[in-house]
Amino acid sequence: MRVGLEPFLMLAAVLFSLGLYGAVSKKATVQLLMSLELMAVAVNINLVAFSRFITPATLDGWFFAVFTMVVSAAEVGLGLALIIAIYRRSRGSEVTGLSELKG
Amino acid sequence: MNWLIAIPALPALAFVVLVFLPRALRNRTLWLSVGATCISLALAFMAFGRVWPGGNELASVRWDHPWVLGVMGGAPISLSMQMDAITAVMLVVITFVGTAVQIYSLSYMSKDEREGWYFAVLSLFTSSMLMLVLADNLLLVFAMWELMGLCSYLLIGFWYELEAPRKASQKAFLTTRVGDLGFLFSLLVIYRAIGTWDITRVLASVPSWGPGVAVAAACGLLLAAMGKSAQVPLHVWLPDAMAGPTPASALIHAATMVAAGVYLVARTLPIFKAAPGVLMATLIVGAITAVVGGLLACVQHDVKKVLAYSTISQLGIMFMGLGAGSVVAAMYHLATHAFFKSLLFLGAGVIIHAAHTQDMREMGGLRKHMPITWITVLIGSLALAGVVPFSGFFSKDAIIKALLDAHLYWAAGVVFFASGLTAFYMTRLYFRVFEGPEQTEHLHEGSPVMLTPMVALATVTVFLGAGSLAFAKFLGEQGEWPSVPLILASTAVAATGIGVGWWFYGRRSVVVNTQAYKAIMGPFYAALQQKLYFDIAYDSAIVKPYIAVTHLLAVVDRSGIDAAVNGVAAGWVAFAAAAAAFDRVVIDGAVNGLATLSKRAGTALRSLQTGRLQGYQRLVLSAVVLFMLYLVLYVVVKGA
Repeated sequence: MRVGLEPFLMLAAVLFSLGLYGAVSKKATVQLLMSLELMAVAVNINLVAFSRFITPATLDGWFFAVFTMVVSAAEVGLGLALIIAIYRRSRGSEVTGLSELKG
Repeated sequence: MNWLIAIPALPALAFVVLVFLPRALRNRTLWLSVGATCISLALAFMAFGRVWPGGNELASVRWDHPWVLGVMGGAPISLSMQMDAITAVMLVVITFVGTAVQIYSLSYMSKDEREGWYFAVLSLFTSSMLMLVLADNLLLVFAMWELMGLCSYLLIGFWYELEAPRKASQKAFLTTRVGDLGFLFSLLVIYRAIGTWDITRVLASVPSWGPGVAVAAACGLLLAAMGKSAQVPLHVWLPDAMAGPTPASALIHAATMVAAGVYLVARTLPIFKAAPGVLMATLIVGAITAVVGGLLACVQHDVKKVLAYSTISQLGIMFMGLGAGSVVAAMYHLATHAFFKSLLFLGAGVIIHAAHTQDMREMGGLRKHMPITWITVLIGSLALAGVVPFSGFFSKDAIIKALLDAHLYWAAGVVFFASGLTAFYMTRLYFRVFEGPEQTEHLHEGSPVMLTPMVALATVTVFLGAGSLAFAKFLGEQGEWPSVPLILASTAVAATGIGVGWWFYGRRSVVVNTQAYKAIMGPFYAALQQKLYFDIAYDSAIVKPYIAVTHLLAVVDRSGIDAAVNGVAAGWVAFAAAAAAFDRVVIDGAVNGLATLSKRAGTALRSLQTGRLQGYQRLVLSAVVLFMLYLVLYVVVKGA
């Protein structure tokens, strides 16, 4: 059986929704970061899927996906560094405590 | 004759120099003023010598140098001087009396700290009076006339720390100003008539004047002369003017300035002759003044005021001479009177210095202590009373003769009556001051500096009578000695006056109770005591209504004009207040309102900044969801 575009989009949407839920609701900073990764992955799936089904002749989507992965990796590295720095400073890394910039 | 200008110019120069010196230096350079007057005296004698020998025609040497002051009606106003017999006489009288008074003042005023200012004003006065008699232009005469008025004002009010001199100076200034209005009026009339103020040309053109012009001009000139020469009813200032220093009174208010009115009328007599009615008015004014002045002199106790009223009376007699149309008689009496009246005033100064009072009732027995003053004042009194060999007799008889020649017998009678009064009040003064018991201590004779001028004046008084024929000839008339009946009549009148005076005040054995006689005189004496109610009448008829009017005007000013001005101001204040309110409420309100709005908005929006990361995320998420919803709905709707 030949799988079409829609299942990929559905998968991406589910993953993105999970990631979004996690980003909005999780208190632990690490979980937050993981949720973001999830959303990035969902986007990547979309990119690759669209590339495969809509414009098979070019590799634009592929390239974007690779870029996104690179950026995500850098982002995770930076994010973890930030988390460690925050942890060192306040002995906790829950995102709800980080409200010093409150207006 | 160009050096004539030096006669008035030297005292004027002395004035200018003295005025600009500091006070201390000024007080030490009085010789400037005295010296200038002395040189003027010498020059006046020279001028007199130049015009001496002949009659009027030969004598009128005209010194003509026009200064162009300005242009009026296309013609330049030129001022010129002239020299004739009348001027020559006036020059000598003014400079002689002026020099005598200045030398006398050196001693009299030596204790005053503003001595220098006194001499400066005296110089200015001498200068202006000399210029007045030298001027051949009525405008220049008027200017000098006013300048003399100013000097008179300054000298009367010399002791301005005291109230009486202050008031007297204002009174003198304002009263003479009434007469000056007449002068101004006649100046306008004359200029309108012939377009010039040159006295020579004016007088030459008098016959060609229209009927009313001479009358109008003469009326104005008469009014001016009445003010300056203290004729009734404008005489009230002269007795009060005695508040000034005595030597200044001798020069200004006895000898010279008050005679300026007589001089003016004498100078312009052709105008008066062209208006016989005004000439008669001059005579009548003179007659009234002679009698009123004489009567009032009889009741004064202040030695200077007796002399002041006497001056008024004598000026009235001069006016009568002018009214009879005789310049010679009037000028002659003016000259003799100037000498003996200034002598009497200087004598009064010595007496006041010694007795430290001006009230005759507090004097007495001064004869033994001041022999020279005694003899000189006696000579002056006899001359004033018109006793035979002295100059006053001749000049007074010249006036009587002129009146008789003009068939004005009643006027001659008036002069006789005034002479009798003169003899009486001078006798009264003499006995009150020099005879009787001594009432004051430390009596002393005046200093030689004061006595020398008095002796000089007394000498002139004694011998001037002998020159009456020469004087008449000099002024262009054929004079003659008084006839024997006239001499007898005059002497009888003088003797009567002196006898009555002696009976009241001179008798040693009997002390006359003057109070009883005053009681007999009753209301008449009371009227004389009140100066015939002139001052009271002026006070209630002019001064008080005037003050009332000024108060009224002040009220009008306050309630009308001030109110209008204040109303406008109040209007502007109200307008400004409204503008300020507009500024505050609308403009400031707009600015502040914006600020408040931003602040409220900031405060409201601030609550969004929770600082919680996930709050923001949720916000973004909901915004995106809403956006998506919108897009989907839009697309759906569009699609549908």
